[in-house]
Amino acid sequence: MIALIPVDHFLIMTLYALLVSAFFALLWREDRRERWKLFGTLIASLVLGGLAVAWLMYPFPK
Amino acid sequence: MTGSEAIPSRSPWLAMALGWLVPGLGHFYLGRKRLALAFAGIIAVTFFAGLSFQGRLYSIEPGQPLTILATFAVYGSGVLNLAARMLSENPGGAILATTYEYGCAYLLTAGLMNLLLVLDAWDIATGKKR
Repeated sequence: MIALIPVDHFLIMTLYALLVSAFFALLWREDRRERWKLFGTLIASLVLGGLAVAWLMYPFPK
Repeated sequence: MTGSEAIPSRSPWLAMALGWLVPGLGHFYLGRKRLALAFAGIIAVTFFAGLSFQGRLYSIEPGQPLTILATFAVYGSGVLNLAARMLSENPGGAILATTYEYGCAYLLTAGLMNLLLVLDAWDIATGKKR
């Protein structure tokens, strides 16, 4: 079981973004097309935002 | 699944209680079965990922006021949280694990998402949301 746990930070962050984006797309939109649109916007914002913050923090490792 | 289906009148309080107890059950009770299954799946995956990342099932600690909020959030997962507390050998998580902070974030998020679903079930049952 322990061996199955991913320790890749990007993978864990992306899985989190996927789950949260799917949840809010289903909760906040009723039309299928609108749901996909919101899902795409949210997941792109979360993943790209996370990468942007990571790069901003790069000069300050501690 | 659309929100425009005719739903016979249902108790908002029961919808909220069921929704808290089992993620998605409030929506299932209100007739939104496919949506309920999707929500249940998302919250269960988030919760069990949090457990597998060795996150912490928070309890209130004296002198640590933020643990009150965290405990409220984790208890939002209803029966998932209660069962995990009873079955887990280490509900406090593994603070030295690389994935500990991620696990905590996943567990807190699962509970908060379910609390949003509880409020959504109330809105649907009272007619505030189609």
